[in-house]
Amino acid sequence: MNKNLTLALAGNPNCGKTTIFNNLTGARQKVGNWPGVTVEKKEGKLRFKDYDLTIVDLPGTYSLTPFSIEEITARDFVINERPDIVVIIIDASNLERSLFLAIQILELGRPAIFVLNMADVADAKGIQINAAKLSQLLGLPVVFTVGNKNKGTDHLIETAIDEILRFDQGKESRPIRYSQKVETCIAKVQADLVESGVSMEGSCRWNAIKILEDDKVIKAKLQEMSASSAKKIIASAQESRKRIQNLFEDDFEIVLTDDRYGVIAGIVKETVTNLAGKRIDISRNIDLVLTDRFFGIPVFIFFIWAMFQLTFSLGAYPMGWIESAVSLLSMGFEKSLPPSLLKDLLVNGIIAGIGSVIIFLPNILILFFCIALFEDTGYMARAAFLMDRVMHTAGLHGKSFIPMLMGFGCNVPAIMATRTLESKKDRILTILMTPFMSCSARLPVYIVLAGSFFADRAGTVIFGLYFMGILIAILSGRLFRKILFKGEEAPFIMELPPYRIPMVKSLMIHMWDRGKMFLKKMGGVILVGSVIIWGLSNFPRQVSYSEDYTEKIHSVKTEYAQKISSATLKEIDALDRQLALTLTEINHKQEQERIAGSYIGRLGKVLEPVFSPLGIGWQASVALVTGFVAKEVVVSTMGVLYGVGSEGGEALEKALRKSGMTSLSALSIMVFVLLYVPCFATVMTIYREASAGWAGFNLIYTTMVAWCMSFLVYQTGLMFGFY
Amino acid sequence: MNSTHEHEKKQFKRLFQQQGIDRFDSRLLVLEAFLKLEHHVTISDLMAQLEADRVHLEKEFVLSSMELLYRFGFAAKIEFEDKETHYEHRHLGLHHDHMVCTKCGTILEFRDEAIEIQQLKVAEAYGFHMLQHKMEIYGICSKCLEDRSPLVPLHKAKKGEKLIVKELEAGKQMQLRISSMGLKIGDLIEIVSSGFGGQVVIATGENRMVLGKGMAEKIMVQLFDPTAEQASEDDGKPPLLQDTRLLSQMKSGQEGIVRKVSGEGILRRRLLEMGINRGTAVYVEKYAPLKDPIEIVVKGYHMSLRVEEASHILVEHIGFRNKKDE
Repeated sequence: MNKNLTLALAGNPNCGKTTIFNNLTGARQKVGNWPGVTVEKKEGKLRFKDYDLTIVDLPGTYSLTPFSIEEITARDFVINERPDIVVIIIDASNLERSLFLAIQILELGRPAIFVLNMADVADAKGIQINAAKLSQLLGLPVVFTVGNKNKGTDHLIETAIDEILRFDQGKESRPIRYSQKVETCIAKVQADLVESGVSMEGSCRWNAIKILEDDKVIKAKLQEMSASSAKKIIASAQESRKRIQNLFEDDFEIVLTDDRYGVIAGIVKETVTNLAGKRIDISRNIDLVLTDRFFGIPVFIFFIWAMFQLTFSLGAYPMGWIESAVSLLSMGFEKSLPPSLLKDLLVNGIIAGIGSVIIFLPNILILFFCIALFEDTGYMARAAFLMDRVMHTAGLHGKSFIPMLMGFGCNVPAIMATRTLESKKDRILTILMTPFMSCSARLPVYIVLAGSFFADRAGTVIFGLYFMGILIAILSGRLFRKILFKGEEAPFIMELPPYRIPMVKSLMIHMWDRGKMFLKKMGGVILVGSVIIWGLSNFPRQVSYSEDYTEKIHSVKTEYAQKISSATLKEIDALDRQLALTLTEINHKQEQERIAGSYIGRLGKVLEPVFSPLGIGWQASVALVTGFVAKEVVVSTMGVLYGVGSEGGEALEKALRKSGMTSLSALSIMVFVLLYVPCFATVMTIYREASAGWAGFNLIYTTMVAWCMSFLVYQTGLMFGFY
Repeated sequence: MNSTHEHEKKQFKRLFQQQGIDRFDSRLLVLEAFLKLEHHVTISDLMAQLEADRVHLEKEFVLSSMELLYRFGFAAKIEFEDKETHYEHRHLGLHHDHMVCTKCGTILEFRDEAIEIQQLKVAEAYGFHMLQHKMEIYGICSKCLEDRSPLVPLHKAKKGEKLIVKELEAGKQMQLRISSMGLKIGDLIEIVSSGFGGQVVIATGENRMVLGKGMAEKIMVQLFDPTAEQASEDDGKPPLLQDTRLLSQMKSGQEGIVRKVSGEGILRRRLLEMGINRGTAVYVEKYAPLKDPIEIVVKGYHMSLRVEEASHILVEHIGFRNKKDE
């Protein structure tokens, strides 16, 4: 029987924690250079000798104050789940700041070991750390690793297990001692806690410190357990706080922070030798260009431009391949299967629906490869540095730039990425604004519509749409900041991590994760959506047509048969072609009438009065409604509604032009698609990340804005005589 | 000291007995009490000392005894302006001068050879034969100086005074208004006029500014001391005025030591947690292309923060980093 052990990995952002996690578990997991890239709690399993190890990757934080979800998540896990050991990963080249978090984790009172990671970087910087001394000072084992070269991983596990065994045999963690006056306060509250008999999760000392630090979460917990003793304990803690306030003319938590850095300075002095003259700072040299006063922003714009070029130009090739593969597949089914409802579902429903979406897989893979590259090199933080001034005008944090940028790829991961923001206000604001970033799923709609109606100027129109989205986002941000989120913004204090050469493996993992997410979404939501739309557009089966098309086809055929029989050999060819054309026209007319009579047609007709001031006809109305399932679906619905099935983009473009849609209507549709309700998956993500209320608010707000803007565009266009 | 006191007592006995002065024993007691007290003694001080020694003598007697001691050169008499007469030990061959604090009345003794020699020289130059001298310097003692706040609000400053802006005790709004007028910490200003309904007219460089009472109250200023500036410049250091600033006022390439982190709640806590605490060296790496945020180096790593946030950090000992160190 193997023994189960849980190891929790903790550390600052950018300390290489995720790399070590990947080394340990081989799990597919994102490694980034952007502070707080590990948004979710990730787990991995590992067998080592007689042990089954569960490795938990805690979010990267700088502290354990309750100011951000990441910090609360990390500390709650250590306190409530009681991992067997906390593996504290320390950036050896940045010992002082790393120790600030490490000391707070030690305070939680769980067994722990120190891992000095990036030992090679520290070496290059001329920093030598005396591990034996550090171990002796803090009373815990210290190991060295080089994460990106997978050095020291086994030693890490062995040391961790040994330390767990030592604790099993009665070892106790040694508390860090602060200055006399602070210790007196801690001892007092500790005594109060013991006396009250309230047993809280986590060590008594830690709880005492947190109560003294005026930690709202812990105070609430205490309140919950016993209101009467809470009142007493907190009152006594307040007294201690006041005493410290009088002595140091500062809050307890500030004094303690100073104290912690004091303790750390002592440790660093004892254990670190700085070999001067060996310092090379490549990052600084790179930044001489990348965040330069003159070159910084042009270079940034160039990178973004290059990213879009790569995504959409390079992506065009595999897109073509996928498109032909899909049409080949649907043709194969068309020919080999006998006509039936099932075949119709398969070809016109499923293959057509999925085909029109899978086309964007290459775009998404390339886009996320680029984003991963920015993150892993450390450029993402510089982007925030460069753009904060701009984001700030929208009432946002420079960090919001990343989710917003990701929003151009897909709103779902973008909204998930808002977890890097510390303040809840900033987070919700960014979440509400992100859907205005035109995601890649909206692009096919633009491509089809702009391609059909603005041929040469399609690029400009699409660029304009993206720009409009950004503008609306900024205006909404300012509006929300003024009305919904009054008050202080979260501080923009962010590490600019050193530039690192990204690991190809990690880039691939990152890219593939996003691709998988997209495919999963397609397999689930979009498949169901496609089937529903096919169903809605194919039922009821019996539609009363204005004329008997079967009869008409029959009569046309006989008519041409007569003509052909009496014609010369030369004329037969031309007549054949004429026949085919007439037949397609009749089919087309029948199909349109059939869909108009279908459920979806009826729905579109019901909504027509709402959309007609926007110059949007019933087919487009229906397509927009179905777009809630996923924006990609707008294109496939249009494909079905205009009776071109899965024949691909060009046929749809022709059908659209034929349908009598004007370029102004097309523009109005595009504006509506840009701004209206994000897809179902995005709404669900908002619900999960913020609340049902915010999801509902977003739904209503975006639709309202979309309607108003489309109305404005269409009516202004009409006024100026465009059509 | 005790040996000198013993020597003084012997001389006293000899002299007083030779002169046949009355109530010798009682006068000896006065001398003993006087010798017990160091520094400058008034008659009332002496009476108190005698009381403590359980000796009861009339004030007139003590006074006449002190006059005798003065006559025979055991005590020196100092009569400062507006003050009770002080007596001090006079040990032959030892001379010193005095500094008198006009605020608390403390008397300090000092002796400076250069002054003594200079006095002789001056006397000689005038063909004057100096027998003895008395020198008293009036002023404010170091303790009183320390207690006195060197900062005064601007509206209390007097016309014509040259001042240095030291602190803005204003809220964010007001700070912004003040700085948007072009007035910042470290500026040298001159009071053009003051007192017209609390309005203060100041000059900075070639600009005139009119500040309302409300604003003037929040600007803390210090008297400009040209000699202090001169002295610090002589040391080859940057002038004293430039030494302390907000991080947001530092130029890129400058370095300094954090003196104070102000600000509220989360911001302050975050700054401290990221390692910006008192005594930490900060180096301003650069400003972002749009002039906000700032990139700084703290504890060996790079971080960025907004200009507004940096204005909560007071930095001292500012100077340009020596390029060779990099």
